Amino acid sequence: MSDLIGLQTLSEKPTRLDQSQLKLNFSEAAVSQLEEIKSHYPSEKAAILPALWIAQREYGGFLSSEAIAEVAHRLHRAYAEVEGVATFYSMYNTRHKPGKHKLEVCTCLSCHVNGAYRILDLIEKKLGIRPNETTEDGLFTLEEVECLNACDRAVVMQVGDSYYGPLTESLLDTIIADLKSRTESTVIQMADEIVKVHLPESAV
Amino acid sequence: MAAEMMGVDMVTILVDDIELQVPKGELIVESVKRLGIEIPIFCYHPRMKPVGMCRMCLVETGTKQPDGTIRKMPKPQASCTLPASEGLAIYTQTPQIIQDRKGVLEFLLINHPLDCPICDRGGECPLQNNTLFYGPSTSRHIEFKRHAPKAIPLSEHVTLDLERCIQCGRCVRFTEEISGDGQLAFRFRGASMQPSTFALSAFESKFSGNTIEICPVGALTSSQSRFRARPWDLESSAGVCTLCSCGCNVWFDHRIGKLVRVNGRTNNAVNEEWTCDQGKFGHDYYNHNERQASVFIRTSARLESTSWTVGLGEIVTKLKSTGTSAGFLLGPKISNEAGFLACRAATALGSRQVAGIDSRVELGANFEVPADSLLSLEQAKVIVSVGPSLADTLPIVYLRVRKAASQKGAKVISIHSSPTELDEFAFLSLCHKPGTLSLLIQGLDGSLALEEVALQTGVSAQALKEAKTVLEGQGVSFIATNQVAHTEGSAALSDLRRLAKKLEANWNHFCETASGFASLASCSGLGMELQSPESILKKCLSGDIKFLWLVDFDPFELVKDRELVKQALEEVEFLVVQSAIASEASHYASVVLPQSLPAEGGGSFTNLDGQLQNFDAFLPKIGMARADWQIFAELLSRMDLAAGMFSRQDILQMAAKDVPYFKEALTGKQDHQPQPSGAGV
Repeated sequence: MSDLIGLQTLSEKPTRLDQSQLKLNFSEAAVSQLEEIKSHYPSEKAAILPALWIAQREYGGFLSSEAIAEVAHRLHRAYAEVEGVATFYSMYNTRHKPGKHKLEVCTCLSCHVNGAYRILDLIEKKLGIRPNETTEDGLFTLEEVECLNACDRAVVMQVGDSYYGPLTESLLDTIIADLKSRTESTVIQMADEIVKVHLPESAV
Repeated sequence: MAAEMMGVDMVTILVDDIELQVPKGELIVESVKRLGIEIPIFCYHPRMKPVGMCRMCLVETGTKQPDGTIRKMPKPQASCTLPASEGLAIYTQTPQIIQDRKGVLEFLLINHPLDCPICDRGGECPLQNNTLFYGPSTSRHIEFKRHAPKAIPLSEHVTLDLERCIQCGRCVRFTEEISGDGQLAFRFRGASMQPSTFALSAFESKFSGNTIEICPVGALTSSQSRFRARPWDLESSAGVCTLCSCGCNVWFDHRIGKLVRVNGRTNNAVNEEWTCDQGKFGHDYYNHNERQASVFIRTSARLESTSWTVGLGEIVTKLKSTGTSAGFLLGPKISNEAGFLACRAATALGSRQVAGIDSRVELGANFEVPADSLLSLEQAKVIVSVGPSLADTLPIVYLRVRKAASQKGAKVISIHSSPTELDEFAFLSLCHKPGTLSLLIQGLDGSLALEEVALQTGVSAQALKEAKTVLEGQGVSFIATNQVAHTEGSAALSDLRRLAKKLEANWNHFCETASGFASLASCSGLGMELQSPESILKKCLSGDIKFLWLVDFDPFELVKDRELVKQALEEVEFLVVQSAIASEASHYASVVLPQSLPAEGGGSFTNLDGQLQNFDAFLPKIGMARADWQIFAELLSRMDLAAGMFSRQDILQMAAKDVPYFKEALTGKQDHQPQPSGAGV
């Protein structure tokens, strides 16, 4: 955990973003989607989760401090509060910036006994990265995750919003080849899908 | 019972088989205190909303069945989130609960480091205490503990020891609910959950020190007093903060005659239990290395150390010849007694030249006791705060205003020329162009067209219209300080007062300094007017004042016009500098008198709403230093102007004869008696 905090001296600490210095990156479509979502809830606080999904899509799959600050600004919440919400959930990418595709390999019980770590090793060798790292070309990020609730398909891996499993070496090769041929980022695609769930058909 | 008379529904509950009448909806953790039963707590704090995070306050509950038996619920419940309802039965001492508490504490201790021997909290730590009384006696934990950084500087004042955090959320809730800046939040979750600022930026709250006090473990520590003393070596003495006019009640924790730290002391009529950072961390001048310790007298070009007899003798001789042209500058932190005696000396000598920071004369205002007290401010329906940041000038008033707005639904109107903290929760923020406050007030009282005012002041006509409607309602309180006159001119201040009177609203022109209220009251009681320091200094230049006494008043710090100060101090024939810390003014002095600070010499202090609070000495005096009131008592005796002043009480009795305020304060109101309370809980 210490690597998450990084011991800083006080002079190195960034000062809080001033509202006037805030760079707002939401596209017009995103702003209107946020307005639509806000109208579904009695308070702006309730819209933090979907708003973070919009931010994750708008900021290329990564919730940086700027992204979180923009959400807080647009929902009139304290910066720290929104950051607290974002860091609580593991599906928001707050710890490191993911590549174009995020490979999330389940290593929980059923997958473990079916050889999840062997599969993980295979992926590490094929892509040349360790878990929580991104390939140099920025295509793949590898992550080890807890139970994906698909034990019938162990060893299972999530990429974007699709599940793949049971994983074998040949299946892995096809998945990687398929992902390489895609132009869209599955990370952003998934965020977009989740935002759409919150919107009525007409607004999509 | 008082609650019954006020029409609150009462319910009967059973606590450990004892019947108890409590208001409906009262939290059980509070109800059991009526019986003297203690439930251990960590996250619960009486002044904040309950969250039920730590599970320490578990109790067994049950309900009365029709046949009179009690049926227990199978699982224990957290008493801090359990409201009292009719027929509820609570058990706080059953074997099951004793077992449950052991379990909760064992969980909390799994990741809590056992560095109590070096921890600042050790000895006054709720976790230690609860573990001792309710916890397991031995640990079954043989695995590795979680490790985290030991010293993260959250801000200049607060250092976080992450390993010790038990994730109770008190600090996070404090910034959300009490100070309102929302600077802290929990990041991540589970074992890696940590209270932290946004993107690890600096914790910039003006009330950050309180989080150190309410932390139930040693996770948030004061950067200033970290590792300076063990709590059991510290002696706590009740004191009053004199850094502004709020008069916060504090504990001065000292060790071998040195002040180590300052903690909030509960007084619901003043500061509840909070302190501002200025008050909590701003008392290190007690340990200043240039404290004045000796009387000095000027012989030719040098200041030479001498005795009180010689020093005061010189002053008495001089006063006998130039007494009618003597002037006194009263410092911001002097005691009521010293303030009164200085005014008394000025009248007795016939000079009647007394000045202080909170002067009203040049501002076109008279001294008026504020219509609201800190307590009644909470009940206001509309609060109009005028002038620069209230959180800077009167931090505790700011907390009251925030409480009124967030808990009692008061509408806050903030009128200012630069953004303040009030804007975050204000009903209306009227941010006008600098220098246009008078116009804005004319708009609000209807003597100018709103469109015209909007154009001139830069406030939208819509907002002005809304403000006007709100101000016409009931329960309006105005808050202003001398700052309004300093930034917008004295005309604006009197316009504002006229507006308040016209609306039949409560007018509160608060003092800003600890000595302000008493100096103003003493002056008006003795038929004088407290002048501004500038006007006295100008009189020194013109020769009207030949003898100037600086009563713990550092003109180089407190008066803006440095040239004026320099010339005046050079010009004046005889200058007495009475101060606690050597200052630049001592270089111009004819006689330097060493003065002790309130904790060393004692004194009574009157806060902005007129509460007289006694502050008894507990620290040793430095060198030859004497209390401010002692110096004046001796001077007046030596000059045969007054006699019989052997204690502070004698002086106050004397003051009561001349000054109506002191008469009222000594006979009417009861002085607040400090009640020692356990730190942190």
